Amino acid sequence: MSKTGLLLKELHASETELAAACHAVAERHAADHGTYYPCHTLAAQCDAHAEQIRGWGGRYGAALHPPVHSDLLTAARDALRHEGSELLGRRTESGLLLLRDLRRLYVKAEATYINWIMLGQAARALRDQDLLTALGPLQQQTRTQATWITTRIKEAAPQILVATD
Amino acid sequence: MADRTTDVWGARTPFGAGDRWPSRGDRYLTVPDDEVERWVPSACVLCSNGCGLDIAVAGGRMVGVRGREDDRVNHGRLGPKGLYGWQANHSGDRLTRPLVRTGGALRPADWETAMRAVTDRSKAVLAEHGPLAMAFYTSGQLFAEEYYAQALIARAGIGTPHLDGNTRLCTATAEWALIESFGSDGVPGSYTDIDVCDTLLLVGHNVAETQTVLWSRMLDRLHGPDRPRLVVIDPRATPTAREADVHLALRPGTNVALLNALLHELIDNDRIDRHFLDAHTVGFPDLAEVTAQYPAEKAADICGVPADDIRAAARIIGTGQRLVSTVLQGVYQSHQATAAAVQVNNINLVRGMIGRPGCTVFQMNGQPTAENTRETGADGTLPAYLNWQNDAHVQRLADAWNVDALQIPHWSPPTHAMEIFRHCENGSIRFLWVTGTNPAVSLPELHRIRAIYGSDRLFLVVSDAFPTETTALADVVLPAAMWGEKTGCFTNADRTVHLSERAVDPPGEARSDFDVLLDYARRMDLTDRDGRRLLPWSRPEEAWHDFIALTQGRPCDQSALTYDALRNAGGIQWPCTDRAPDGTERLYTDHVFPTAADRCEDYGHDLTTGAQKDADTYRAHDPDGRAVLKAAHYLPPHEPVDERYPLQLTTGRIVHHWHTRTKTARSPQLQDAAPEMWVELHPEDAARAGIAEGDLVRVASRRGDLVAPAVLRGPRPGVVFAPFHYGYFDQADPDRHNRAANELTRTEWDPVSKQPVYKVTAVRIVKVADAAAGGRPVVISEPGLSAVAPPQPPKERP
Repeated sequence: MSKTGLLLKELHASETELAAACHAVAERHAADHGTYYPCHTLAAQCDAHAEQIRGWGGRYGAALHPPVHSDLLTAARDALRHEGSELLGRRTESGLLLLRDLRRLYVKAEATYINWIMLGQAARALRDQDLLTALGPLQQQTRTQATWITTRIKEAAPQILVATD
Repeated sequence: MADRTTDVWGARTPFGAGDRWPSRGDRYLTVPDDEVERWVPSACVLCSNGCGLDIAVAGGRMVGVRGREDDRVNHGRLGPKGLYGWQANHSGDRLTRPLVRTGGALRPADWETAMRAVTDRSKAVLAEHGPLAMAFYTSGQLFAEEYYAQALIARAGIGTPHLDGNTRLCTATAEWALIESFGSDGVPGSYTDIDVCDTLLLVGHNVAETQTVLWSRMLDRLHGPDRPRLVVIDPRATPTAREADVHLALRPGTNVALLNALLHELIDNDRIDRHFLDAHTVGFPDLAEVTAQYPAEKAADICGVPADDIRAAARIIGTGQRLVSTVLQGVYQSHQATAAAVQVNNINLVRGMIGRPGCTVFQMNGQPTAENTRETGADGTLPAYLNWQNDAHVQRLADAWNVDALQIPHWSPPTHAMEIFRHCENGSIRFLWVTGTNPAVSLPELHRIRAIYGSDRLFLVVSDAFPTETTALADVVLPAAMWGEKTGCFTNADRTVHLSERAVDPPGEARSDFDVLLDYARRMDLTDRDGRRLLPWSRPEEAWHDFIALTQGRPCDQSALTYDALRNAGGIQWPCTDRAPDGTERLYTDHVFPTAADRCEDYGHDLTTGAQKDADTYRAHDPDGRAVLKAAHYLPPHEPVDERYPLQLTTGRIVHHWHTRTKTARSPQLQDAAPEMWVELHPEDAARAGIAEGDLVRVASRRGDLVAPAVLRGPRPGVVFAPFHYGYFDQADPDRHNRAANELTRTEWDPVSKQPVYKVTAVRIVKVADAAAGGRPVVISEPGLSAVAPPQPPKERP
């Protein structure tokens, strides 16, 4: 596998991990609708990114496969998280958990973004104009995902950190 | 006079392009003409159209209304709600004394006791939990002076970001679509644009029922010489859609795909104004690239409309010379609301059709005074369209209010209503004051709302003129004066400001919200940095004076719009300044938009996620006066239909009722025209479930259910329609929650405008009882049905 192939593999892994993390944060904070629905939107974007990356894998010798989920297990885990959120979502501690989860999500999004930057640099050096054109909007979307997480943290933090119980 | 509950739009007065819309003097009096003692100038508060009217007074009571023929908005016309709705003021169950909850029940009290309860709790919450535990939820029904007082109390006095209006449910997307495209709120056009247009594009806007007088104006053009061509985008065969040249009856929740396809058709066939795009916009390459992915066939698949119809609509839009586009709740209350509304702006921008006679886009308002929450900062913005991320703007506000800039919360946007309720739910907000709105029927997912509002740890104050589903949950209820019983200004959907004068006294001990807010500020000892009263007024005119001074130089400049000017001239459109004392018909005639970084109201958002742009990012690509074309991909709704919930519910409004019927159910004619809840099913869906016309059916979603008689004239297979007006206050058992459409809806909102999603909910239906045996009789009265029945051939009036 070429080094670019390795990078594609790395990027693919970070996109699928980010998707899973968005999904998990959404379900863990299902009672917080301002987090729940946008996180699902982000997860769907990551899934679409991963699919695109798989399409490029062959050119660089990387055989990439969609993440294997057991539907039954995933559904059971989501249902547990969702229910937990409904039960605990009215307690104040859930706010601090939300900030912690969003911070972790932010780190993952930034790591994904920096992988896109590396891929862009590789595509330039390889003169792979098709790849460069195709990755532009996806890289930008990852940037926007990190901005959304920042936006959500900025909105949510004052009430969680300052409003007293 | 004809029964205007059936003759909804009145007699036609057709006119041609550029002619003056003929006058028609509509009136409804309950006494003979010669018994009227005074006519008091005002405007209608039963939709966003803001029709000028006079209130007839005799013996200290309102006895009728007449449309003002010299008013620029309505030329004398009034709709059924305007003609009959005022009678609610006389309703026998008006709240006339404050109520305070003691021993678990609301009991009458005097004002001193009630206000002491409110301020004692406010002070205790502030002392123990701080300003972030205080919240205010206001209306689209108060007057501008009252909203401005609320903004001052919340943002400068208490120092809480938690003030929003129920305008969040009706008009937030209008506001944000305008900000995202043009840099600032402010509807660009004028109703006179309808008089000269040659093409009308109505998107999710059933104007025939929501703004009946505006539809009369359109109908008079449609029935006149040189009829404009009409394209309607709406899932339902509304009276509006039945007049259309092309009706695109799309699947609910697919607006973005359809609008992208229309844009693609315009661009692909070079029906765009390249000179205008080059000189006055940014973002076209991105828009072209995104919309290119929506050929008509693809949109046809997503939206469930024929590709040829999409192309036909695009041909009409692309060949007209003067295009007026309008947008309302079909867009605003769907998911991707702002993304879709912005694409309608984009249609006008790529055609270069804005800022000229007959060329504009109306992002419509819902409620009569919605525009004023936006201008005064009583919704999720700062007053005078100031930008919360712009330190110079915040400083200007702090100087005007003589408070430290740090006192005004501006670490993030003012909290939107749905997030306020979330904070109430998790207990970090302890005090909530609701004015002039009925969230226990109008918000989504009502069982959740009842639980939040009924929680012991939340102290709930409700100001209203009537007992409602929300006052029933309150700790203190304050009886409010209504329209006609107080003085103040409000602004309609084409920037026309009216002064509404006090015609009669409020009943009993009811007081105007303005007086109550002043009393609250005084009792709370809210002062500026020099220890002077923060609200130094005694009359609404003084508050108005301060507000218009604050707008000077801003896009919504109303600095010359005094009470005297309004008394002399009637309705005036802002901007109204020393240089334009008679007002301004349309904005952006020079094609310079308020997008410059120092001027804009907000730096904007990503339309898909709602990610907020910051100052540095914005300044790096300062559009500096150009309109911004923003593209968005279609996303399917977050709650798709499935095997268990195979149908899609869309909710909406009907011509005879307003919001949760607090007023219209108390007007005899309006109540008789539509007394009961119903649901509309498509005959195919009904047949599959063994449901016949009039049968009682249960509609259930993942969150709740309702029971209502079925009417088999539903819009399209797979779609159920339910009016959202009906609640419980007039039910035999108000605790049996099986009637309101919002029992079914879910808590989701648009990522940019934060407007809740009411139009896409997965549901299932099951028959409960036969119409004949146990079912209720068909509940829409004949007048109600015939008002929206297919049109008859035009008849000559005697």
